[in-house]
Amino acid sequence: MSMTHDHIELSLEQSLDHCIKCNICTAACPVSAVTDLFPGPKYVGPQAQRFRGQHQPSPDESVDYCSGCRVCNTVCPTGVRIAELNARARAKIVADHGLPLRNRLLERSELLGRLGCGPQAPLANFTLTNSLLRLAIERIVGVARKAPLPAFATYTFRSWFKRREQRTGNTEQRTIDDRRPTIDQSHRPSSIVHRQVVYFHGCATNYYEPRVGIAAVEVLERNGFEVILAQQNCCGLPMLSNGDFDAARRYHEHNIAKLLPYIQRGIPVVGTSTSCTLTLKEEAPELLGMHETGARMLAEQTYDIFEFLWLLHERGELNTNFTPITRTLPYHPPCQLRAHRIGRPALDVLALVPGLRLDESTASCCGIAGTYGLKREKYQIAMDVGAELFDVVRASGSDLALCDSETCRWQITHGSGVATQHPIELLRAAYA
Amino acid sequence: MRDTIVIGAGFAGLMGALALAEAGHQPLVLAKGQGVTHWTSGTIDLWAAAADRGPRAAVADVIAAQPDHPYGHVGVAGIDEALARFRALMAAARYPYVGSLDRNVLLPTAIGALRPAALMPATMAAGDARLGGALLLAGFRELRDFFPPLAAANITAQGIVARGVYLKLPPIRRRLDFSARTFAQLFDDAGFREDVGRQLRAARGDATRIGLPAVLGLRDPLAVVSELQALAGAPIFEIPTLPPSVPGMRLFAILRDAITRAGGRLQVGSEVLRAAGDAGQLAAVYSEAAAREQEHRAGSFLLATGGIAGGGIATDYTGAVWETALGLPLRAPMAREEWFETRFLHPDGQPIYRAGVATDERLRPLDGHGRVVYQNVAVAGAALAGADPVREGCYSGLTLATGWQAGQVLSRL
Repeated sequence: MSMTHDHIELSLEQSLDHCIKCNICTAACPVSAVTDLFPGPKYVGPQAQRFRGQHQPSPDESVDYCSGCRVCNTVCPTGVRIAELNARARAKIVADHGLPLRNRLLERSELLGRLGCGPQAPLANFTLTNSLLRLAIERIVGVARKAPLPAFATYTFRSWFKRREQRTGNTEQRTIDDRRPTIDQSHRPSSIVHRQVVYFHGCATNYYEPRVGIAAVEVLERNGFEVILAQQNCCGLPMLSNGDFDAARRYHEHNIAKLLPYIQRGIPVVGTSTSCTLTLKEEAPELLGMHETGARMLAEQTYDIFEFLWLLHERGELNTNFTPITRTLPYHPPCQLRAHRIGRPALDVLALVPGLRLDESTASCCGIAGTYGLKREKYQIAMDVGAELFDVVRASGSDLALCDSETCRWQITHGSGVATQHPIELLRAAYA
Repeated sequence: MRDTIVIGAGFAGLMGALALAEAGHQPLVLAKGQGVTHWTSGTIDLWAAAADRGPRAAVADVIAAQPDHPYGHVGVAGIDEALARFRALMAAARYPYVGSLDRNVLLPTAIGALRPAALMPATMAAGDARLGGALLLAGFRELRDFFPPLAAANITAQGIVARGVYLKLPPIRRRLDFSARTFAQLFDDAGFREDVGRQLRAARGDATRIGLPAVLGLRDPLAVVSELQALAGAPIFEIPTLPPSVPGMRLFAILRDAITRAGGRLQVGSEVLRAAGDAGQLAAVYSEAAAREQEHRAGSFLLATGGIAGGGIATDYTGAVWETALGLPLRAPMAREEWFETRFLHPDGQPIYRAGVATDERLRPLDGHGRVVYQNVAVAGAALAGADPVREGCYSGLTLATGWQAGQVLSRL
């Protein structure tokens, strides 16, 4: 793809001058802490960027070892957008040299999901848990044989939702509430007028963990919301993080086309995958330079589900009729949630459940970073990055951990042996 | 629905948040990025030019002579109280501070200058220049910006016998790149320490004390130092490095954990962009976030965003000077020509560095007519007008003391 000089590119270029070389990012980077292959955000980001001219070869390939966790952005005291610099540099390498077959496969989470999810799931899961076959896949494709691939579900979330609608006799096409509020500028979801939301389930919920979507729908309904299952596709993040910007752009355009009619009527999009919602909010428009009205409106009206529920609570509209849950559980805020810069809404909401105590981990990252830790050459790095978190989870003595992001949940379970759920599943249990 | 918002995660913000949380509030700390902790030496500097009278007496003189200096809003008793809490917290975390407010100690820097400090981590105590004897300074070629022979030559030129050596990097997997953090991780490993300890014993010669870069572990630096001392057969002390500062990282982690335990929360990576309020009350601040700003309503607010170096005060080429988070009025030179003295190293410093928010004795921000702008806001740290903390050598003391004081004031609102 061509790296057009959009305003984002310009602001990234200008942000280089804000780097004062203090190395705070290097000290915080979880990847450079465990491997020589990634020298750290400062070198690969603002320093290498000086040598990345439009018609020059990429100065290095170590940028491919950036996991994209964005901790560098979080800690930078001067506002350099290091993670975006790295993501765009990776895209240039892909544009120049093409995308390896392995990454081409891993980035198509929707296609993979369609192949494995459904009645054929037991067979697909057998393939993915058989150590001989996994060795063959590692040798031929380059997906680490020990990497935590999730198990396909025997039904999709969408099929559950549709069956449920049939059971309840509610099969007509939903009509969208026609009172047209203006898109609000008050940092509150406009749905509070409508009591309707579009649920963005993402690939993981649809093909691997329908239980997360079921919990989300039931929690929203307990709060008086009608949940709309709009047409949608993969958010495009796996393509963005593998540097395949052209494919990501097509996916994002599709999502805009499908979701914008709801947004225009004031119905917000709520998601349970912190990485999908971050992509709709920021990653796709910023990395791809998509600034048109549709992309902007979708971004502004997309919410992480706990962000949404906490905003409801701030208005006194959250159903807090909770059954006590007397448990103390470890909670890991995933990097993609931290990148929303909205705090810890899952902790805030779950603190309202009597008896429940969550201990937030201060470990930096689980290591998986989407598809990063699945790759043969990066598997061990990802496990070393996650070691601190796995220790925290094991040391808690709990048989359950909580984390808002799917690939992180699978990695935490893989690394610590402790089952991991989305916090929305626990909140659903509190509405029992 | 946090009751108090603290803006800034440097010493002032963290101490303020600690005071609030320990008083039963639930503060939320919003910060643009990792704060000044990671840039500092880890020593507590009350006043550099204290001579024989000691820093506490020097601060009392400053308060009497400069009524506009922010130390005046805290008073010597307030400083004592803040530093007592700070020391108790650090001691409880097995990272005790030693020293006294009655005299400054001279500690070697990474280039061998002797720098005054009132309090220092116990891991730096044996660096005290008055202890006498011969020094051995040791480092690693792989650690950038730390040159033992250069530092030793400079210390020797000041009348203290010192020798600088490079140690051989013990066998490890890493080969390519080393930051202060990398070394701190390595010193958390027993095998690495043992190798270094043996090399130090062999290199010790007639040295009575050994200085190492301040990278001696992140988990339990006190234990690392005592183990190295036993192996090397001489007292060991840490010498602050260039950023990122490992002693600063330890401080940040201890303060963060204490705030969290007491019911507060940190949200780093969320720059406060603007504020809304009227009738003398601040109602909300808005932080930068993905796709849209995040609104934070609260009953009270603590501004601890730092000065010009920290980003709390911004300037431009037209001579404009402004406070970046709340848009508070500043006490600052009126025109660009008044920013600087005629000489770069003028003994009075540069006027622009004294720019900041003027406050009343309760640290509430004042406008140009001396009226309180917001009743429910307190200002702390380098954002305050009237101090030039780097030149005065009072950065950590001033920020800790005013931060603690601001937290106390807000907790009593």
